[in-house]
Amino acid sequence: MLGAGLVGRLYQLQIAQSENYQLLSDKNQFDKRRVLAPRGRLFDSHGRLLAGNSEVFELNMLPARVADLDRWLANVQKLIDLSPDDIERIKKDIADQPDFLEVTVKSGLTQRELARVAILSPVLEGALFHKSFRRIYPQGWMTAHVTGYVSPANQKDVSKNPQLRYLPGLRIGRSGVEHTLEPSLAGQLGVERIEVNAQGKPVRVLEDKPAEAGVDVNLSIDVELQAFATERLRRGKSDVVPLQKQEVQMALLQNDELRAHVTTGDTLILRDERGRLVPPESGAVTVIDIHTGEIKAMVSVPSYDPNLFSGRLSLRDWKRLNEHPRTPMLNRAVSGLYAPGSTFKMVVAAAALEAGVISPSNKIKCEGSFEFGRRTFHCWNEKGHGFVDMVSSLERSCDIYYYQIALKTGINRINNMAKRLGLGEVTDIGLPSEQAGIIPDRDWKQENKGVPWTPGETVVAGIGQGFVLTTPVQLAVMTARIANGKKAVIPTMQAQNGQQPDFADLQVSEDILAMMKQGMRKVMNGTFGTARKYDLKDYGGIAGKTGTVQVKRISKEQREKGIIDNIDRPWKERDHALFVAYAPVNNPRYAISVVVEHGGSGSSMAAPIAHDIFEYIFASEQRQKI
Amino acid sequence: MNLVFAWLFRVPWVLVLATGFLAMVGALALFSASEGNWFPWAERQLYRAGIGTLLLVFIAVIPVRWIYSWSYIILFGAVLILLALPIIGIGAGATRWIAIGPFNFQPSEPAKIAIILALARYYTSQSPENMQSVIAHILPLICIAVPFGLVIIQPDLGTSAMLLVGSLGVIFVAGIPKRFIAVLAGLAVLMLPVLWSQLYDYQKERIFTFLQPQSDTLGAGYQIAQSKIALGSGGMFGKGFLQGSQSQLNYLPEKQTDFVFTMIGEEFGFVGNVVILLAYFIILMSILLIAVKCKSRFCRLSAIGVSIMLFLYIFVNVAMVTGILPVVGAPLPLISYGGTAMLTVFIGLGMVINAAVNSHVSDNELLI
Repeated sequence: MLGAGLVGRLYQLQIAQSENYQLLSDKNQFDKRRVLAPRGRLFDSHGRLLAGNSEVFELNMLPARVADLDRWLANVQKLIDLSPDDIERIKKDIADQPDFLEVTVKSGLTQRELARVAILSPVLEGALFHKSFRRIYPQGWMTAHVTGYVSPANQKDVSKNPQLRYLPGLRIGRSGVEHTLEPSLAGQLGVERIEVNAQGKPVRVLEDKPAEAGVDVNLSIDVELQAFATERLRRGKSDVVPLQKQEVQMALLQNDELRAHVTTGDTLILRDERGRLVPPESGAVTVIDIHTGEIKAMVSVPSYDPNLFSGRLSLRDWKRLNEHPRTPMLNRAVSGLYAPGSTFKMVVAAAALEAGVISPSNKIKCEGSFEFGRRTFHCWNEKGHGFVDMVSSLERSCDIYYYQIALKTGINRINNMAKRLGLGEVTDIGLPSEQAGIIPDRDWKQENKGVPWTPGETVVAGIGQGFVLTTPVQLAVMTARIANGKKAVIPTMQAQNGQQPDFADLQVSEDILAMMKQGMRKVMNGTFGTARKYDLKDYGGIAGKTGTVQVKRISKEQREKGIIDNIDRPWKERDHALFVAYAPVNNPRYAISVVVEHGGSGSSMAAPIAHDIFEYIFASEQRQKI
Repeated sequence: MNLVFAWLFRVPWVLVLATGFLAMVGALALFSASEGNWFPWAERQLYRAGIGTLLLVFIAVIPVRWIYSWSYIILFGAVLILLALPIIGIGAGATRWIAIGPFNFQPSEPAKIAIILALARYYTSQSPENMQSVIAHILPLICIAVPFGLVIIQPDLGTSAMLLVGSLGVIFVAGIPKRFIAVLAGLAVLMLPVLWSQLYDYQKERIFTFLQPQSDTLGAGYQIAQSKIALGSGGMFGKGFLQGSQSQLNYLPEKQTDFVFTMIGEEFGFVGNVVILLAYFIILMSILLIAVKCKSRFCRLSAIGVSIMLFLYIFVNVAMVTGILPVVGAPLPLISYGGTAMLTVFIGLGMVINAAVNSHVSDNELLI
């Protein structure tokens, strides 16, 4: 009877519940290991490498096979360079995961280190070598805001996808194109099914699905143009001072701002008009193809070295970037918000024409100021412009003209035109943390400020200040749409390879846009044009618009005492210098927006930068034809 | 010559064949347990089986009279050795072993046979009237209690429990008044708390683990859990010889000794396990048939004693690996790696064969 009981028990285990136990047995026996895929590479429009993978060797450790961790680490430290930070991280990693999973001790071993550790590996129980990939950015900080950077999985990633924990070599795109195109750049992880014994030691490989490399992407950026535009923007209108000079070395000791730039890798030191040593200019330049929307250059300075993030960012580097006074991690082109200032005047003029509140030939008299309600609104030219029509209002950037037509048009119609020209909404350029900016209307004010819109605010909006905020890339898109005249161009970071993207029609009359173009042309070649010194006659001319944006309100007393020159104010209180333009005039190809933070004036700071960049583009295109 | 043939004719060949079969299965199982190597277990096990066979033949051919007359002395010797164990024994913590030449020997195993023989002789000498009195059973109980006490203090819970149950079984078969059974059962229940207080922590833990195996799958419950996984994943026909992943990759502990039945189950499935149990069933059945045919009470009791001992080994082991009983450390006879248990089984079977060929001998002939 007892014997029958035993057979019954065996039946229960081996027949009735067999499937269940088979699953448990498989779970014991097999270990799935994921194999890293090389990340897709990024190239510029000419196939030059922007982000690639270099093969590196990393030293890993299997905690289960290390008896005395401290002694093991001490031994390894004799062979390779391990910082206290590294040690702390290794110990944390070991504590965080089961002991049969590998922990990265150091990645990116130098040839010397590799050789040293490899020779001693037989006596370093638990040491393992792996070939891994390190993300490299040959252009470094120059293209950092375009490419973005990658970094190891953090606690948040792991809690979303626990498998990431077991992939110490994996890098995730954090910003720029690396982030946007993460799904296709990442590729497919390979899978190795390994039979493991009870001690966690692999016995044999059963299944091997190789990793699929990520997709390579050609970006629309032209690295040479990017480099030129970057250098040109940073130099502004100052002289370069060699770093080795005694006075520079002295200044670096005393001047925190200069030191912040130099320690984050930006070694350009300038001498301004007053003879002071200053860091390079900050700001953004965006060059866009007005037909395809391809971004040919996107500069945002200061910048950072994305290579720093590929390994493990040291605390020191992180602190330097974090404490930098000019936020180098911010991509000003898409995330920087600036009042468009006078570059907004095309929008207001177009809205007024469309609304029929004014005709191009109607003249308005500018006497330097404009009384409205209890407030006085000033023109930048205190003496006044006299009678101005629409074209000359753009040419001379008369503020009084725009105060008046803005009032007649109303904020809602201005808002409507601005949105059609690409302002106040994210452009879908495909870069993370793009800002929408603000183009106000009555509802916006009510919703966000809780009070009704006032006509005085329309007056200020007429010259692109007050609530109005835009990003440099939006300004480039606005200019491209005006230049294109037919299509609502959408910017893209990816090379279109000669293909014309399918854009929606721009719902603005071509006659109206023709007026804008005429005014913008006059800015460059009119007798009173605000940027008349910076036309580019050799290459078909430029059409543009300057903008000088006040960042601090000028009080009545200050105005009476006489406004202090920008150059003599503290940097933070100087005006932003803006310039938007397209060229060539008759057969437009490229649009540009230049924003120089606290750069002084649009005409003296931003316009010459745009001029030089256009000259560079057309000159090199001509060279290539010959 | 005729005499030899007559002798051979009386040998229970079915039992011999089944024993040989199980010994071969054991050797192959040990071959698999060392991942397809004769070394270290299978080879030595075969060597021991050879020695065991010699012992078996020796015990089978000697006159049963000799065994009868030596039985008390054998028990006395066994008790002496058990007594001396703390002095001459080896082993860390639990002193269970003595070294005889190259072999480590566990005296508590053959002590079981000694008890069986002594009890068989004692009850042969008792008249049926005597059996009804309590006094007649006091001496056998002392014969059991002394070695039981010596084994339990070693400490070896599994062996002592099996020794106790097995020898009480012999008394039961010898014939004991029903009222005594009730008294004995009552005494046993009263003994339990005392026994429990004498247990070592690891022994208590094993019993706790048995009661709640899921509580500790990486500690003491690990063995039972892995054993059940191995058996269950074997299914109907098993994963094949040398293909058991649980066994070959060392998830299954003690696969060469206590959990050998599990390994066979993983590699040969339900069918394999049932075939093994069938072979044991054949052995037990033929021993019982021999017992029935024996004229002498001594032969009958010792054969039945051996069968009870064998059955206990088998039952406790299989129940243990399938998770019915706690892990107490009981080998599977003839298959598990381990010299003492194997030799004990061979001695016991030698005794049974001796009884079979001497089934015509009566008690009176033994006394001469």
